[in-house]
Amino acid sequence: MIAALTTPYVAWWALVPLITFAVAGFLLLTVASLVRRLPAVLAPAWTAVAGLGVLLYLVPMWSRVGRDGADSFLAGTVGVDRSSIFVTGILAVAVIAAALISRDYLPREDLPGVELYVLLLMSAAGGVVMASANDLIVLFLGLEILSIAVYVLAALHLRRIESQEAALKYFLLGAFSSAFLLYGIALVYGATGSTNMVRISAFLAQNVLVDDAMLLAGLGLLLVGLGFKVAVVPFHAWTPDVYQGAPTPVVAWMAAGVKAAGFAALMRVFVLTLGTYVSDWRPAFQVIAAATVLAGAVVAVVQTDVKRMLAYSSIVHAGFILVGLQAATDRGNSSVLAYLAVYAFLTVGSFAVVTVVSGTGDASHGLDAYRGMGRRHPALAGVFTVLLLGQAGIPFTGGFVVKLGVLAAAVDGGAYWLAGVAMLAAAVAAFVYLRLLVAMYLEEVPSGTETSGAVPLGALVVAVASAVIVLVVGLVPGPLLDLARDAVPVLVAG
Amino acid sequence: MLGQYLPIVFLIVLAFLFAALSFFASRLLAPRSPNDKKEAPYECGIIPGREAPERFPVRFFLVAMIFIVFDIEIIFFYPWAIAHGEMGLFGLIAVLVFSLAVFESFVYLIGNGALEWGPIRREAQTGDVVSATRTTSTTVSRAGIRQVGLEGRTGGDS
Repeated sequence: MIAALTTPYVAWWALVPLITFAVAGFLLLTVASLVRRLPAVLAPAWTAVAGLGVLLYLVPMWSRVGRDGADSFLAGTVGVDRSSIFVTGILAVAVIAAALISRDYLPREDLPGVELYVLLLMSAAGGVVMASANDLIVLFLGLEILSIAVYVLAALHLRRIESQEAALKYFLLGAFSSAFLLYGIALVYGATGSTNMVRISAFLAQNVLVDDAMLLAGLGLLLVGLGFKVAVVPFHAWTPDVYQGAPTPVVAWMAAGVKAAGFAALMRVFVLTLGTYVSDWRPAFQVIAAATVLAGAVVAVVQTDVKRMLAYSSIVHAGFILVGLQAATDRGNSSVLAYLAVYAFLTVGSFAVVTVVSGTGDASHGLDAYRGMGRRHPALAGVFTVLLLGQAGIPFTGGFVVKLGVLAAAVDGGAYWLAGVAMLAAAVAAFVYLRLLVAMYLEEVPSGTETSGAVPLGALVVAVASAVIVLVVGLVPGPLLDLARDAVPVLVAG
Repeated sequence: MLGQYLPIVFLIVLAFLFAALSFFASRLLAPRSPNDKKEAPYECGIIPGREAPERFPVRFFLVAMIFIVFDIEIIFFYPWAIAHGEMGLFGLIAVLVFSLAVFESFVYLIGNGALEWGPIRREAQTGDVVSATRTTSTTVSRAGIRQVGLEGRTGGDS
């Protein structure tokens, strides 16, 4: 008889957000399978309540971590620190927003009503795992839970061939990137003897590798794998096609949620785990960041499809976040987290407006659909204006505050050229947003466009709330920056 | 060490070479005189008489999905069954949570009619997935084969 297995220590209080998302998804799917006719409002309300519950629970969790310090459990594979709580909060916000936008979208498009919410909750659970992984394998698990749900979500619009195309492209490239990531994990394991982030960083702090070729190769492959997920140049090619084809509420989740989880993973892997090799990976990050902001901004200018435009603008934002990340300092990390938060609001708000404008069929994304919007839908156009100005980084919006943050972090680290390139790209990208504004306010409504009716409530709430938050952060940036400053990512041994 | 794998590598190379050589040899050597009858789909040697009468649902993939659900469940049950004594209550609860999660997908499949084999339930047709104007004669075109049984039909391309 073998002695009983010692069960690992589990800090259940830290798993509540993850369990909430997963169980909410499971319950929703079960109930929807057993009950024939569910009221249409149940699924979005359920999802939003789950997101809200997580968001509320994060408050005591935040203070508990502040009091007792970061923790690590499940044999040191999962950790909880304030940065993971912060990212979980962003994910919860993105879930709530996507659920609210979908509430009117699914009936409008005549799509089945429950699967989107279930997959959204599952995907969020994967994102939480990514944000609190202390082990590369757990990180990979989270990434797959997150991604596989999103592949299906992208294909959810059954009658649009573009949606199927988007899902297939995303799936193939995602599978490739997963393979890169796994290969990278394998090589890092080969070089350091562990997949545990704490042990890897301890090993690298205590030992000097005589031959670090394997580690560097693994590092590069990890960068490729995660770079695909957050869509930085040259791994961005899927973004415009997928954003254009996927259902718009799903794009809101992809842009806000998936990106936040991806950058959280990049931060944990590179800044925390491989911090000792910063002089090796920083040049690569800097080149990629510069290429991302420039390519994204320049290509965004020539787009005529607003969803593609916003896709390229999200690539520019990813470049900016990378500008903060490459600093690999506390200041850089907090600037990244603040950027992710404001970016989440900017992007869910923008895609809420895009969902409304796209009309039945989710097809009219051309600039034509936005011409004369200032007269047809003054309120919606006003909200969109705030969000676009925020994306451009105009002063007195949240976008300006967080852009300043990442640039300051880069300058702090002496990367003046990178900050210069990023500012140049921001100026180019501003043209894109101005073009949309000109179309909305200065151009005539094209003849033959039917005037669309009332704006659905869910999307309106998301758009208005995002715009208000972006403005408030722009005027009173203190609270958000303090939160982001306190959200220090740390690795604790289990 | 690695030398013992050499025969396998040799066999793989040989297999590829053989396939490639046969392929190109038949391309080079075979006489080619294509005609319509040769290009037509082979149907027991008879010229295809009619199209399949209607689109029919492929239902077996759902059965395959259900199989996978239980397949995965069983795969994870075996190691647990062997070590359940050592894993104790923790293992039992863990495997229960796992099997609930897996079983849940079965509930979803059943709830969505994966095993309803009776007369096809007519779903409310929405959108334009299947349009009324879409028939075999609009979707299938075939080179000038003599087709039998087309008398009286309209829109044929014979």
